[in-house]
Parts: sequence; C-alpha cells; structure tokens
Amino acid sequence: MTDQEIIERINASLAEEFELDRADMVPEATIYEDLGLDSLDTVDMVIVLEAAFKFKIREETAIREIRTLGDIHNFVIGKYRRQDGAA
Amino acid sequence: MATLGSCAQRGGVSFWLTALLMNLTVYPLLALWTLFGLLTLPLTLPLLRLVSGWSAQRTMRYLIWVYGQGWLLIMRPFVRFETEGLDPEKLHAPAILVVNHLSFFDTYCMALLPCFDVNFAVRSWPFRMIFYGFVMRRAGYLDVESMNWREALAAGRRVLEQPALQLFFPEGHRSRDGRLQRFYSGAFRLAKETGTKVIPLCLTGTDTLLPPGRLWLCPARVRLQALEPVDPAEFPGENGHVEMRKAVKERMRRHLEGGGERRC
Repeated sequence: MTDQEIIERINASLAEEFELDRADMVPEATIYEDLGLDSLDTVDMVIVLEAAFKFKIREETAIREIRTLGDIHNFVIGKYRRQDGAA
Repeated sequence: MATLGSCAQRGGVSFWLTALLMNLTVYPLLALWTLFGLLTLPLTLPLLRLVSGWSAQRTMRYLIWVYGQGWLLIMRPFVRFETEGLDPEKLHAPAILVVNHLSFFDTYCMALLPCFDVNFAVRSWPFRMIFYGFVMRRAGYLDVESMNWREALAAGRRVLEQPALQLFFPEGHRSRDGRLQRFYSGAFRLAKETGTKVIPLCLTGTDTLLPPGRLWLCPARVRLQALEPVDPAEFPGENGHVEMRKAVKERMRRHLEGGGERRC
C-alpha cells in the first residue's frame, strides 16, 4: 500500500466515523480546533484506525503527541511500514 | 436582553408576569427540594434498600426518579408536559435510549419516562459537582469521558445485564440552534456489541424552558416522544454501528424537523 493509499484510507475512515467534510481534511487541520473533534472522539479514533489497518495502537505513547491530521497520517504510515517490515 | 433570549420575544403582560412568577418560585423550590433530598438521603437510601431488596444502584436510580417527579411537580404550573409512545412494554429493559440534547433540564425531563431504572452516560464535569457527583456515582452512571472504550463497554454491558435502561445523549453537548449535532458512536457500538435495541427519544421545548447560556426560565411546552426501537441486527458488518447511528439520527431528524412526519 502506498503512502497516498494509506492517507486515503485514513481520511475515508475518519470522515465516515466523524461525519467530517472531506474538503476540511487537509494535513495541517488540527484535530480539535479545525475538525471539531474532542476528547470523547479520541477513543473512537483509535478504534477506527485499528479496524482500518488491523493493528493495535491504543498502547502507543506517540499517539498522545498527535495534534493535526498530518500527524495521524505520519503516525499510521510509520506504524504500517514498521509492521510491514517486520512481517 | 441577553439573559432572556427567545423568551423576550413572546407574549404580553400576563405572559411576562407568569415568567416572572416562574423565576421567583422555581429556583427557590428547586433548591429546597434538592436540599431536602440531600438531607434525607442518608435515611431514605438504606431504608429503601432494606424494604425493596434492590441493589444500591437501583435504589439510587429510584430516588433520582422520585427527585425528578418533584421537579415535574414544581415545573407543572408553568410547563405543559406532553408524552407520546412512552409505552412501558416498549421501554422494557434491557434497552439503550438515545435522546437529543437541548438544555440543562433535559436530564430532569427523563422523569417523564414510565420507568425509573435508567442509567445515564455522562461527561466528566457533572461528576465534579458535590451533590450530583456523589449521587451519580452511587447510581452507577457512566463517566464516558474518563473511561477508555473497553471500560465503557464493560460497564455498559453490566448495566444492560442487570437489566436496566442505558441512556445516552449521543450529541454529547446541548444544541445551540435546536438542530441535531453530530452523533458520537458509543451508544451504537454498545448496541452492536451487546445486541441490544436502541430506542430514540425526541425531546422538544426544553430549549425554550432554559436554553444553553441562560438562567431566565421561560414557560414552555415540553414534549417527549419515543420512536420505534431499532434492532442492531439490521446493521451487520464491521461498520454496522456507523450505519445504525446514521439511521437513528435520520429518523430523529425527520421527527424533530417535521419533515413529512409528525413533529415531536
């Protein structure tokens, strides 16, 4: 899966779960201010990403550093590549 | 007039006098009723448990429901309460109730339900209120903001197995314009995971009674209507909870906006 395909899958999953407008889903969009998500959504976000990519991320400390949609893209791409390399 | 909001646009002199009387009487009576509940709780809680044989949570939920009956009594001279579809057979536990959110008083309006064993899913901040926090913890209310998904699911499952009704405000916040906001998925994930029906409740009028950001009460007509239950089995697949969430929201939206169906 290419980086662009991963990004597309992330965006599609998040848009579906959180009723987001795809036009707002630019990498620099902040999760809380620009996309309008909140602390209740972070739990759902982890579940959605785990379901979309079939890996566990809820224990990862790096997830707490995520501020923007681009951070999510980079985090998931990194995780996917590490998992892909280990397989 | 910032503190009066839409109430200021209504009625003549008699309406204004009624509203004034309402504000002068409801708040003191509510404070007295709450104080009475607080002071008698150390007696009523163990006594009722002893007599009924109920669990501590069920007993507390009953006392909360009684407190809600007192609230209805205080409000009735100024608020016309209407209900539809609140059939005890339909609202039989276990079930998940989802209700739209307009006002601080929405939770109080759940006293209109014909059943008392209702467990609320709540954000963290009400648990920090001295009296309310204690009561909510004793009743077993879910602090969905502090729990992770696994904890929330386990706690919700235990409530449904009691069996009791688990109530969610899926919007998470009060609506500022009366329209339905985005729905959180928690209620629908729980429904899918446990195979429990979801009963949508449509509430109107509480945004006239006490809208967000106001303290001035306004006489109102409050209506609570239960729609037909939704079976999670109708939404198979990994993303079934999303489809269920959309279907329930759409059904509630149609009723609340009166789009071809009866306005609730």
